Amino acid sequence: MHLAYPAVLAVLLFSVGVYGVLARRNVILVLMSVELMLNAVNLNLVAFDVWLRDTLHAGQALTLFTITVAAAEIGLGLAIVLLVYRTRRTAAVDRVTALGDRHEADDPADAAEEKEQAAA
Amino acid sequence: MSTLLAAAGSLEPAARSYLSPTGQEIVFLLVGVLVLGAAVVSVTTRQLVHAALWLVVALGGLAVEFLLLTAEFVAWVQVLVYLGSVVVLVLFGLMLTRAPIGRSPDADSGNRPAALAVGAASAATLVTLVVDAFRSSWIDLSGPAGTTRLTGEFLFSHWVLPFEALSVLLLAALVGAIVLSRAKGDGTKPRPGNLRTVLTKTKER
Amino acid sequence: MIATHALAAAGGNSPSIPAPHIEYGQLSPMLVVFGAALVGILAEAFLPRRLRAATQLGISLAGLVGGFVAVVVLAAQGHASTRAGLLAMGSVAIDGPALFLQGVILLTAVLAVLTYAEGRLEPRINGHRIDAFAAQAAAVPGGEQEREATREGLRTTEIYPLTLFAVGGMLLFPASNDLLTMFVALEVLSLPLYLMCAIARRRRLLSQEAAVKYFLLGAFASAFFLFGTALLYGYAGSLRLGEIADVVSGVAPVTPALAVTTQNDALLLIGLAMVSVGLLFKVGAVPFHSWTPDVYQGAPTPVTGFMAAATKTAAFGALLRLFYVAFPGIRWDWRPVMWGVAILTMVVGSILAVTQQDVKRLLAYSSIAHAGFILTGLIATDRRGVAAVLFYLLAYSFVTLGAFAVVTLVRDSKGEATHLSSWAGLGRRSPLLAAVFALFLLAFAGIPLTSGFTGKFAVFQAAAGGGAAPLVIVGVLSSAIAAFFYIRVIVLMFFSDPQPSGPAVAVPSALTATTIAFGVLVTLGLGLLPQYFLDLATKASIFIR
Repeated sequence: MHLAYPAVLAVLLFSVGVYGVLARRNVILVLMSVELMLNAVNLNLVAFDVWLRDTLHAGQALTLFTITVAAAEIGLGLAIVLLVYRTRRTAAVDRVTALGDRHEADDPADAAEEKEQAAA
Repeated sequence: MSTLLAAAGSLEPAARSYLSPTGQEIVFLLVGVLVLGAAVVSVTTRQLVHAALWLVVALGGLAVEFLLLTAEFVAWVQVLVYLGSVVVLVLFGLMLTRAPIGRSPDADSGNRPAALAVGAASAATLVTLVVDAFRSSWIDLSGPAGTTRLTGEFLFSHWVLPFEALSVLLLAALVGAIVLSRAKGDGTKPRPGNLRTVLTKTKER
Repeated sequence: MIATHALAAAGGNSPSIPAPHIEYGQLSPMLVVFGAALVGILAEAFLPRRLRAATQLGISLAGLVGGFVAVVVLAAQGHASTRAGLLAMGSVAIDGPALFLQGVILLTAVLAVLTYAEGRLEPRINGHRIDAFAAQAAAVPGGEQEREATREGLRTTEIYPLTLFAVGGMLLFPASNDLLTMFVALEVLSLPLYLMCAIARRRRLLSQEAAVKYFLLGAFASAFFLFGTALLYGYAGSLRLGEIADVVSGVAPVTPALAVTTQNDALLLIGLAMVSVGLLFKVGAVPFHSWTPDVYQGAPTPVTGFMAAATKTAAFGALLRLFYVAFPGIRWDWRPVMWGVAILTMVVGSILAVTQQDVKRLLAYSSIAHAGFILTGLIATDRRGVAAVLFYLLAYSFVTLGAFAVVTLVRDSKGEATHLSSWAGLGRRSPLLAAVFALFLLAFAGIPLTSGFTGKFAVFQAAAGGGAAPLVIVGVLSSAIAAFFYIRVIVLMFFSDPQPSGPAVAVPSALTATTIAFGVLVTLGLGLLPQYFLDLATKASIFIR
């Protein structure tokens, strides 16, 4: 099999995930997009592993570890999201904006970087 | 023997044409298109629950891709962990945060154009990169690369320490999630804290 | 039948897996800390509630001090220099920088844990001591459940084992010798921190918000780290830092598969860039700093102090190892980029610090600026650079920890009074506290006779020696900008009139007092007599490959 096929598929999936993280408002949808990014990495790693015939199988090992970390991450993430939801009745990232340099909203460095505040 | 095969495979890239794909490649490409389509729908749909279900399609398709790449064990872990638990957790999360069943107009934030630009730019850059780097590389799929036995051997001979660290991570995540979610901590009997709080609050509203 | 035969052949016919070789002795700092965390979890499960807080403190201190003793013993046995080596099947490198940073992390963690246990800052409720963490993290803020939990005197004692888990990850992070172990360590240290941010007792909405932001941005950043790792794996065919270095510098034997990709420098550079994004996020360098002020402000102040000191130390350790072990061969490619990042970080951190009105945000921006100063040392790419960075991290950790411990003491009816206006005239009400805070601010500013000056001098000297003179000029200028604001805070404390309804200064127990005293001691010690520690850092400045 051409290595280009899995590599290109992984790259496209990663970009779709990046788009989702930046575009979504609901925290859970953002988490789902992060999962897509991690899966893109996994596809890449498995493809490289099989291609390289790596005797240590570092690619597959990292894939298994990534899957585990993703599961732990999403469990913890949902616990945090539910915690916030219970107090604020919202799971929208751009409504969670009590913190921040609001008295200096014209500050470009922060405004550009903090995507939570970008939509406000 | 396998290294010899790999060497032979990589040494004659010119012989492999993109115009005469093998059967495996055709299946890989078809499933790949499905995965990509499902992923795109999943990050763009306005129906939150549908997004989670399309995520199932994307992740399940990836498990098939892993099988095609002969990484059996990874494929089954993908099915078990992602489809079996992560997506279920996501669906629970959506339900507990009262995600609307129908279309929700505010699923996307205001910076969609910017996000689209970033996504497209990263896709263009990275596709150019990997096509340029790997266009003549050939994966030799003969011989097992990811059987359960092999996986066990490399995990427990070369990657023991990170493996153990990961077990600690899982314990930490477990404890952490309990700390954040257990509503009444008297230790006598566990109570479905999240659910009840959310439901009563919902009624109050 | 054929399938089983093939399986057996692939498995190498051996019936059992050869046992991996693990050097338990050299890994003992990590093992002791992880062990203490597990004991802590068991204590949480089986001990009656009233005993837990004290027991957890004891377990944590025993684990951390035990880990520190193990580090000292290992260093004394020469594992920092002559006997440095790769352990656990090549996953971990125990060498000078690793042991030095592990020592710093363990000491800062000891002091941070002391501030966790502080229970004298607020009046008792119902006879129960009140600490900085939510009575019950899951209860709705301001709800009946929370009031009930506070009356019953519940405490989130799980914070101690979680901190130990995070410390264990931090010990592994700067010692990890391959990108896989580095990723696992990154997650082991991050996940507990995400949720430790969420459990402040006061201002719980801000605290939870901090956790959400930190978590989402952290998950995003680690996805970038992973994708970069995958690209580097495709480039070099290995995740081991040493083997990557061999491929980068063209020493490694070229396999047919790699013959194609090693021609492709774009793959290497983009992979390295994405891995760096993940690490620069953790150290809070511009433009990946946006989480820092929000998280530092929202998190419980003892946790903020711990994060600011220990996370930064661990992440810089990993960054150093990545650049010095795996990528010295392409330093001419990454140095210009890191120049840009360092300059941006110093300038943006210093300038934004000037505009802050909240003490915790001020310290957060100051920590960003300091990340920039440390990066200038990283750019030197020689032994002196490593030594300077190690020394700077040692100096900075204790100043930060002390400063955040002081912040916990200035309180009004709503908890900590972090707005700067309420710090006006503090020097007249509580001269000692104000003097201590002033000392920490002077150390941040890099005034001579404090540890901050020695640290800055060391990194700037290393950077200038490494041919980065313009960087040093920018560094000195942004130090001057920042110093202006630190001194304004000092003037505010000593030369303006206290507000009538201003905050009170709580009298701490011996716990917080120890942390602050240690901070003062190290700040003055490294400022007045730095030579011993500079020598120590220099001796510890060689990476093993």
